[in-house]
Amino acid sequence: MTQTTQSQESENRLPRPFPTARPSGCPFDPPAPFAEARAECPVTPLRYPDGHIGRLVTGLASGRAVLGDTRFSSLPAGKRSPVMTPGSELSTDALPTGMFVNMDPPEHTRYRRLLSKHFTIRRVRELRPRVQEMADRLLDAMERDCGPVDLVEAFAKPLPTLVTSELLGLPEEDRAEFRRHVDVLFSLSSSGEEMRQSMTLLGGMLHALIGAAREDPGPDILGRLTVETDLSDEELLGITIVLLIAGLETTTHMLALGTYALLSHPEQLAELRADWSLLDGAVEELLRYLSVVQIGPVRVAAEDFEFEGRSIRTGEVVTVSLPAANRDPLGFENPDVFDIRRGATRHLAFGSGPHQCMGHHLARLELAVGYESLLRRFPRLELAVPAEEIGTREMMVTYGVLALPVRW
Amino acid sequence: MRIEIDRDLCCGAGTCVLLAPGVFDQDDEDGTVILLDATPGAGRRAAVEEAAERCPTAVISIT
Repeated sequence: MTQTTQSQESENRLPRPFPTARPSGCPFDPPAPFAEARAECPVTPLRYPDGHIGRLVTGLASGRAVLGDTRFSSLPAGKRSPVMTPGSELSTDALPTGMFVNMDPPEHTRYRRLLSKHFTIRRVRELRPRVQEMADRLLDAMERDCGPVDLVEAFAKPLPTLVTSELLGLPEEDRAEFRRHVDVLFSLSSSGEEMRQSMTLLGGMLHALIGAAREDPGPDILGRLTVETDLSDEELLGITIVLLIAGLETTTHMLALGTYALLSHPEQLAELRADWSLLDGAVEELLRYLSVVQIGPVRVAAEDFEFEGRSIRTGEVVTVSLPAANRDPLGFENPDVFDIRRGATRHLAFGSGPHQCMGHHLARLELAVGYESLLRRFPRLELAVPAEEIGTREMMVTYGVLALPVRW
Repeated sequence: MRIEIDRDLCCGAGTCVLLAPGVFDQDDEDGTVILLDATPGAGRRAAVEEAAERCPTAVISIT
């Protein structure tokens, strides 16, 4: 490995690989080596699967600083995942243009400005009655089923799928197939071949969708983008893929894992049920405590520079651990304690900097409506299996439960 | 308290609008910040400071 500054004690240790194993019996806690790394230094050496030595950021302030500093570039060149996750072997070379998550300002800013109008607070607030309707409809179906049911399949997956489909203007008859492809792309058990196939089929569906929007633009985001902007079909494809990836998996797993976390803290759940004014605070604390985006964001140093007293070299890959940053004792008192009254608003669950989640208001809305509607509908909601039987998604970019069997 | 914003760097997150409505608003066309009140009263200080701190691209400065 290359030593940059010999005087920095933490730099002399053997670089860690990126940890993914959760402590046994603590499905909500980040892998233990993150806390060890942070205790040494909020920025430590990290070994990537191909042997590259880059950095791991585990501190809240350092994480915010890295994500807000565009010298840490988002361009795909040289970017590596800190772990081999299913799908990470898929080449990023063939990605369509318009995937603004892989851009830096000012190119990134252009796309972001074209899209932001669809995710403003005002716009999202207008969506509330519709999201409530969708949640109620799913809960009606769940109730008819009598239980036990898998909450992931019955509620946590369909709610964001319905919301996102409607926002994008995806016809009702295409939604099942569309979600199936997305599932393959995010599944632990998919082969590379299955993923390539789903990617191709999904691309075809989205191209057809974009074509239809151009011919007969609706009031949805795609329809509006075809009328109001000069974005090409390929750019629209990239944008749509980003919105899908960002809008589906994260919200699904926050809904299911969040429900699991609430059920695992029955006293606080009872307090919440008794006083729904605690809901927004509970959502923020769940976002902080669970931080389901568990691998990355990843950046690449675009130049040599000094950062927090360290020499950063061009090409160094930097991974910010959001779950680690959100358990930083310098940012949160007793960070490993779940406390819905904490008022934990300064977390990094949505990232920070120019790439901070554009859909954060929408995510909060879906979570608030989702949790409240579910808990009100089923006052005696409980796990239908012992907690130790609930499997988790340790090797996926988005953490969560594989299934959450519940009864009421 | 005097607030200044750098709208060029704004990413349209709208966190400031959530925290300090009446001081900040969001443009309906591109989501970027609109400063409604550059000199709000002292009673808004805590909210404005949190908005500045939580702004993802740090475009709000207070003097």
